Amino acid sequence: MTPGLSREDGQLKIRIMKGLELTPLRLVLLLAGIGFLFLLPAIARNTGNLPIRVRPIYRGMVLGLAAVGLNFLLRHADLTSFGHAAFFGTAAYTVAIMVQIFDIQSAVVLMAVAVVAATLMAALVGYFTLPHEGLYFALVTLAFGQLAFSIPVGISELGGTDGLNALTGASGVPIGEQYPRLGGLFFNGQEVPNTILFWVTIVIVVISLLVMYRLIRSPFGSALDAIGQQRTRARFLGLPVKRYVWAAFIISGIYGGIAGALYALFFSTSIDPGSTLQVFVSGDILYIAILGGFKTLTGPFIGGIVFETLSNVASDVVITGPAGETEVGRLITGAVLLVIVFGFPSGIVGSLKPGGRVYEAGRTLIRNPSVVGPWSRQAGRGVVDAGRRAVKNVRILIMGVK
Amino acid sequence: MLEAKGLKKSFGNIQATDDVSVEFGQEEGELVFIVGPNGAGKSTLINLLTGLLEPDEGSVVLDGEEITGLRPDERVHKGLVRSFQVVKVFEEMTVRENIRTAILIKEQMTGGWTPSSFFGGLFSLADEHEEVEGKIDDLIEQFRLEDAAETVADELPHGDRKLLDVAMSFALDPNYLLLDEPTSGVSAQETDYVIETIVEVSEQQNVTTVTIEHDMDLVKGYADRVIALHQGSVHGEGPPSMLETDQELRRLLLGVEE
Amino acid sequence: MVLGTPLTIGDLLQPERFITQTINGLQAGFVLFLIASGLTVILGILDVLNLAHGELYALGAFIASSVGGYIVGTGANAIVSPPSGFDPVSSFAFVGVLILIALITALIMVPIGAIVETTLIRPIYERSQVYQLVLTFAILLIIADIVTLVWGSDPQQLAFSTKQAVNDIPSFELVGLGNIPTLVLMVILVSLGLGVALFWFFGRTKTGRIIRATAIDREMATALGVSTDRTFTLVFALGSFLAGFAGAMQFVITRAQTGMGEQALVLSFVVIVVGGLGSLRGAVVGAVVVGVLQNWMIVINPDFQTAAPFAVMVLILLVKPEGLFGTWGERT
Repeated sequence: MTPGLSREDGQLKIRIMKGLELTPLRLVLLLAGIGFLFLLPAIARNTGNLPIRVRPIYRGMVLGLAAVGLNFLLRHADLTSFGHAAFFGTAAYTVAIMVQIFDIQSAVVLMAVAVVAATLMAALVGYFTLPHEGLYFALVTLAFGQLAFSIPVGISELGGTDGLNALTGASGVPIGEQYPRLGGLFFNGQEVPNTILFWVTIVIVVISLLVMYRLIRSPFGSALDAIGQQRTRARFLGLPVKRYVWAAFIISGIYGGIAGALYALFFSTSIDPGSTLQVFVSGDILYIAILGGFKTLTGPFIGGIVFETLSNVASDVVITGPAGETEVGRLITGAVLLVIVFGFPSGIVGSLKPGGRVYEAGRTLIRNPSVVGPWSRQAGRGVVDAGRRAVKNVRILIMGVK
Repeated sequence: MLEAKGLKKSFGNIQATDDVSVEFGQEEGELVFIVGPNGAGKSTLINLLTGLLEPDEGSVVLDGEEITGLRPDERVHKGLVRSFQVVKVFEEMTVRENIRTAILIKEQMTGGWTPSSFFGGLFSLADEHEEVEGKIDDLIEQFRLEDAAETVADELPHGDRKLLDVAMSFALDPNYLLLDEPTSGVSAQETDYVIETIVEVSEQQNVTTVTIEHDMDLVKGYADRVIALHQGSVHGEGPPSMLETDQELRRLLLGVEE
Repeated sequence: MVLGTPLTIGDLLQPERFITQTINGLQAGFVLFLIASGLTVILGILDVLNLAHGELYALGAFIASSVGGYIVGTGANAIVSPPSGFDPVSSFAFVGVLILIALITALIMVPIGAIVETTLIRPIYERSQVYQLVLTFAILLIIADIVTLVWGSDPQQLAFSTKQAVNDIPSFELVGLGNIPTLVLMVILVSLGLGVALFWFFGRTKTGRIIRATAIDREMATALGVSTDRTFTLVFALGSFLAGFAGAMQFVITRAQTGMGEQALVLSFVVIVVGGLGSLRGAVVGAVVVGVLQNWMIVINPDFQTAAPFAVMVLILLVKPEGLFGTWGERT
């Protein structure tokens, strides 16, 4: 099953690997997307005014990768993990510890060990979540996420709330060579190594997405789908449900670990509990998956990039309130989340795919531009109706049903 | 042979199953019907036999092997399959996909779970074989689900959902099949058909079938043997004629006054 | 979230410290119970994991700071001035005023909770659970920034003289534990009273039983003429009331500060895991265990203060995953 061309349902398709066939249009879009990512550092350098910066986009990519892992559990096994930061942070901290305390600099070794650490963490946490489903599962994962958060906070050797740097090694390492390195290239925060790391990350992400694609299409993936839709039935068809869920949990944790390790290599001075382990990071990862579209494969990844770019912009928004000028980044994030939940539940990619809200609306619009009129009126009526309903509810609450 | 030996199970103060010892399938392909008023412990017995519940006392033996400690999925690998009173099917899949899932899982799990089969399954692709499709078609035909084959499960009418549940159970090639009220909520015309199909396929494939049923006419029509439960214990066992002759049983089941 | 003065090694050997910290732990535990009880009831009856619950608690604390500031003042324009020195009538009356502040705060939280439930949460009941989690998380974010917007990021607390007005009332001094402020006793007693009222509400009143019935079988309750819509709103409003009251108590006894919501939320989760889903009895036990344990840790090893409750949680998950008083698939 080598790469090549094939014809299916009268449509030309290009086979990239076993089981992955794309229409020429899709392939072009995919390559364009990847190409755009590769060019991003150059674009960022040359457009001062646009909100395109390498650092937030990189953070978006790695969080997006973690979200792809989370999505594996969510989309297929119907399990919402609210503690994914635990794996992300474990990997990041492992990198920091190895550089700062054990003097290890090879990026390959750092990543490998960090991913193993995250995998072990996932195996451990996953074990405790096995008897649970649904909301209780989310609750337990959140609690374990906070447990992971509380560990470095309480241990001063791990940097406390300030965190660690994956920079300075112990004594004996020459100044100027204290950074993680890939061959002769030191990740010292300068432009060139950052760009290289950026590109390496894109490659890792593409490979990870391809692997995920295969996983989803495998018998394992189908079994997970069955478990997610009707767990008891799956069990009584002969699936050892707990083992499969545990395995899926570990796999999702591995993705989080890879993401965390990549994060630590790039943001070597920001490995602290607040940025890598806190419940808000877990929330971000989940939010990213939903924003991008959790019923899709690439959605969470794209959600990550969009999210970080928007966050970057939102964090500068300031409102003058009773307490003076206040940054309202979280308020904006919350508001966007509400829009997604009520308006675009299939997320960005989900809405843009055929069958999605934005795609279908776009098609209708192209075919018949005059539909804008009725739409606006409908939207207006919708808002008025919602307002009336809210007022009615409040009236019922206060005065009872009349 | 599937045996229940001295099974006991209580929930709080209620003794749901009280020292039940029965056996099924001494004759291969036997058709047994379990009857009894509500709360008699019929579903509990099936839950104990299939591993959904752990007995307080007693054991379950399958083909000479003690399986009391085995998980439900392990029992399925040994040929013990069940359906559910409240239909459990994969709601977002079509009828065809539901049955295919059952067959694929069976294929994946043949021989039980091993690490190598698991890791193999991680990266291979779930290809569609022609034999699998053929088997799906057969089952769809047998259970008269052709019109519904491409319908998503949660949009099916109740009777079709019941049929799908049973079809999926048969897709696993069971040796012993425990059916929990397969005709409950099914319309009068369909009821006959459901039981007929079950009996037909069971006989074809020599499956020992144990069915919980409330409709006495059906029981009398098809049963090889009837087991009557009452308040957690076995009230009586015997041929279907027992339903006519055992007055106390008639009173319990039908409220017939003397 | 916890009270206590830092200790030296010499203090470790005094049993008095443990008693002090146990009492402090009880206080923290009861406040935590008020928060967790709302959360567990909402979870058990509405099937909603209200991630914004911690922020409701924080909102309560800050609202109390405004209400308190208005009534007893942080400066000159107080409606009621705190008495200086102990005087039986005015001191106890002042305690009553503080309790009133908490009550007013909690009552303000009721319509807030009701509006949140009817406009935001009700539409998503039928949808996939993940949206519910995202939604309540969004509400968390929004409330957090609203609090900062309105009250700023500095902590708010009552003036020393105001707190002293209660602490001047002799309480623990009478049993030789003079270093425990009387406010602690006040919070313990008031929270205990509210807790008892809560149990009585669910156990003995008709509304309480209707709510429990709705939790067990929604369809049946509807068939009996119960409006599940109204019931759910009521339950959520009740949870908001409790969270607001707890926040007010916390404000009175220490302060209102940013980050208090997040901390409370996570500890509430631990309480629910330990105590069992939807169980009030479990919430009491879980909250007291967490509160006392955290305060003991101040004596034993302050570094593990944050992690200690999680250790208990892990233990429970290993030994009895459904919680001490929890049963799979059952409600309050």
